Amino acid sequence: MKKIKSIYSIAALLTILLMAVGCERKFDGLQLATYPTTPEVFVDGFSSGLYYAAYGTSKVTAFSVDYNVKYLGVAAMKFEVPDTSDPNGSYVGGVFGTNPARDLSGYNVLTFWAKASEPANLIEVGFGNDMGASKYKVTLTNLAVNSNWMQYYIPIPNPSLLKEERGMFFYAAAPKNGRGYTFWIDDLKFEQLGTVAHSTFGILNGNDSIKDNAETGDEYTIADLYATFNLPTGINQKVGLAVSYFTFTSSNPSVATVDDYGNIEIADSGTAVITAKVGDADAEGSLTIHSTGESVGPNNPPPAPTIDPDKVISLYSDAYTNVKVDTWNTHWLYSTAQNLEIQISGENVMHYWDLNFVGIEFTSQPIDATAMTHFHIDIWTPNPTTDKTFKIKLVDFGANGMLGGGDDSESEVTIASPPLATQQWISLNIPLSAFSGLLSRSHLAQLILSGDLPNVYTDNVYFSDNGTQPTEPTTAAPVPTFSSADVISVFSDHYTNLAGTDFYPDWGQATIVSEVLIAGNNTLKYKGLNYQGIQLATNQNVSAMGYLHLDFWSVTSVSLNVFLISPGPVEKAYTLTVPTTGWTSVDIPLSYFSTVDLTNLMQFKFEGNGDIFMDNILFHK
Amino acid sequence: MKKNSKRMVSAAIYSLLLFTLFGCNKEDVQKLPQRNWQLVWSDEFDGSAGMSPDSTKWKFDIGNGGWGNAELEYYTNRTTNASLDGNSNLVITARRELYSGSAFTSARIKTSGLFAQSYGRFEARIKTPWGPGMWPAFWLLGSNIDSIAWPQCGEIDIMELRGQKPNIINGTVHGPGYSGGAGISKNFAFESTRFDVDFHLFAIEWGTDYIDFFVDSTLYQEITPADLTGNWVFDHPFFIILNVAVGGNYVGFPTNQTPFPQSMIVDYVRVYREVN
Repeated sequence: MKKIKSIYSIAALLTILLMAVGCERKFDGLQLATYPTTPEVFVDGFSSGLYYAAYGTSKVTAFSVDYNVKYLGVAAMKFEVPDTSDPNGSYVGGVFGTNPARDLSGYNVLTFWAKASEPANLIEVGFGNDMGASKYKVTLTNLAVNSNWMQYYIPIPNPSLLKEERGMFFYAAAPKNGRGYTFWIDDLKFEQLGTVAHSTFGILNGNDSIKDNAETGDEYTIADLYATFNLPTGINQKVGLAVSYFTFTSSNPSVATVDDYGNIEIADSGTAVITAKVGDADAEGSLTIHSTGESVGPNNPPPAPTIDPDKVISLYSDAYTNVKVDTWNTHWLYSTAQNLEIQISGENVMHYWDLNFVGIEFTSQPIDATAMTHFHIDIWTPNPTTDKTFKIKLVDFGANGMLGGGDDSESEVTIASPPLATQQWISLNIPLSAFSGLLSRSHLAQLILSGDLPNVYTDNVYFSDNGTQPTEPTTAAPVPTFSSADVISVFSDHYTNLAGTDFYPDWGQATIVSEVLIAGNNTLKYKGLNYQGIQLATNQNVSAMGYLHLDFWSVTSVSLNVFLISPGPVEKAYTLTVPTTGWTSVDIPLSYFSTVDLTNLMQFKFEGNGDIFMDNILFHK
Repeated sequence: MKKNSKRMVSAAIYSLLLFTLFGCNKEDVQKLPQRNWQLVWSDEFDGSAGMSPDSTKWKFDIGNGGWGNAELEYYTNRTTNASLDGNSNLVITARRELYSGSAFTSARIKTSGLFAQSYGRFEARIKTPWGPGMWPAFWLLGSNIDSIAWPQCGEIDIMELRGQKPNIINGTVHGPGYSGGAGISKNFAFESTRFDVDFHLFAIEWGTDYIDFFVDSTLYQEITPADLTGNWVFDHPFFIILNVAVGGNYVGFPTNQTPFPQSMIVDYVRVYREVN
């Protein structure tokens, strides 16, 4: 009926053509070898060249030809799904292939009729699985069948590609609620139906996705490839497609290249948009890549820690013996973080990128940091840090040493900029008292890093005992040396202060405010700061002054901001670097607060955490 | 406002009608008498994109309540439901959106009070929407509907389509004794294409004792007084309606798999009268 020619006939034909040229003979009517166009796969039996291969791990005896139950004609394909407990295999699946291959380019859909002994969803059916590269595989997943014969359609996205296809049909099905059932498929054949219409194609599930902070050498793969077709029943059907149906384009190959398989490699800094087509049709969805170019990393390791090893519980440092850490990346759901340990001048450093959040677990041997006073981590980021944060969370699993059980506690500290800075090692030495939500630190089991910095190098992660911390300064704040004529003083023993200032207005804060004598000097103390205001008796014009001066001291705070406020209110924050080593004096140019009306200053505000001591709050020229 | 670039010159067109006989091979055709048509009314839907249809030719039906068919949509006069596309087409778009208590919106426009005619050729070139629950229609109602009510006024459905059968249209007449499900009807089906992938011409040719239904140049149904189970009421002026209903008794509910929005695209509507 149909002519079947093999690879060999192509070779033979080419030989004849070559000879023909040599002999100047004409071969009218010669055609290049083609593959059979047989449309039937299984109508009433195996079509010409069809063979069946069950998946190796499936119940291989599940398929048979049924001469009793059939949609039309004399026979149908029968598939017996086993119970989950079946020792011969707990699912069914396999491939119907042909040899020789077939030319399916004249068809646009694979159709069949199916029914089942009870309503069920087959895992997948499709064609194009040739048990090899399966270049043109099309997959219809979660196919609903019931006890009525119904017709199903699996469209061919771009038939012109299927001139040599061996994968006629494949399927997989699993027990339903652990129990088996039977389904039948009949009249399985390729057709050309004008009533299948309105094809659309897509990548990345049709989303216009964005990849920020990519770096040269990064690799990505375009996934979630699909087509939708409107069936003769008017409904849209979505099928999954193999990558070979698509051609990919990069809007800027000098920034990102993309190959035939949707593999992207970042080549340089800049922006590139990856789009795709099937034939001449544009696919929905795209990937916009913003690349920062060559990976920027630290040239040197951070300074080696100097604390006595006896006073350290180290998780990650070449300077100490580290305790057991189960994983440096738990790859929790929704975490995009990747990590790789690198060496810088022989020092091990952990590099995180695509960091939204990352879990670090030491659950098998929780850490008892009861005797420790500080958590330390060195970080280095190539990312801009202005208005960005880096967050450190500690999780204690409680007395049961396990997640859950009602005794877990956790606490997170947010680090702002400063001390965050770009392209330099930052040593964060955080008092454990700053993790105020930790009910205990005897069963610490998780460390979670997050924030706005996608690219972070870390080193020297340890807990340490820095000795008994002073709870208050032992010396008075430095005596300011400004001429009293050049000063408007709010709080100082060395100048005449503005009269009537309210140092504890009730703004609903939790902070406990007191004035304490430190070495005979009146000092303002904020205990357990969340926020705190200072209300001036009358609004002040400080525009003739040049600086806001203040002295501050804290060993427990990891966050402290000072605000100036004019009516509106209009306020502006300045970040003070904490914790401090001894007293810190700052002179902040008032130009920094230029958004505030400096002719009409009304209030101060402090925000942050920990216990703070302050003195010599004043404006000077 | 609207510039009408239409040829209102009396264009006479002659159609040689080929009648495909039922039960015969495609080659067997019947020659119908020549009819000589003169254009009397048309809308080519020229105009810029986003414009509402010409208000001198069309009125909107607005509201919900099912329109006697348990339809689910709310008909609005918003341009998101009916507007010109700038390529000389009218686009009536059904949307899945909550609007005044309805789950869908669409549009229904009519020439009632603006144009009506008895007899002649009524035709429209249309590309239909698709999907279960979509019910596009090009149809005529007797302009005396307000005085003698439906179905006595008569109804001629030149094209109706069920979105779950995108390759089949129906031509139907309704009147006293043959209304609703008892309408006199026949369908026309494409074997290997659909009405939503290309424009097709839907037409009737209506005389004192016949209504002939066409898809493109194919006559697929002739209705004469003898075919009716009631009186012939097609003897007075009828006006034109274009709409896309969502759901309703005729078509059933849309499903989650019905793609929205869905548009009926109308290239033109033309009405002719027969001249000798």
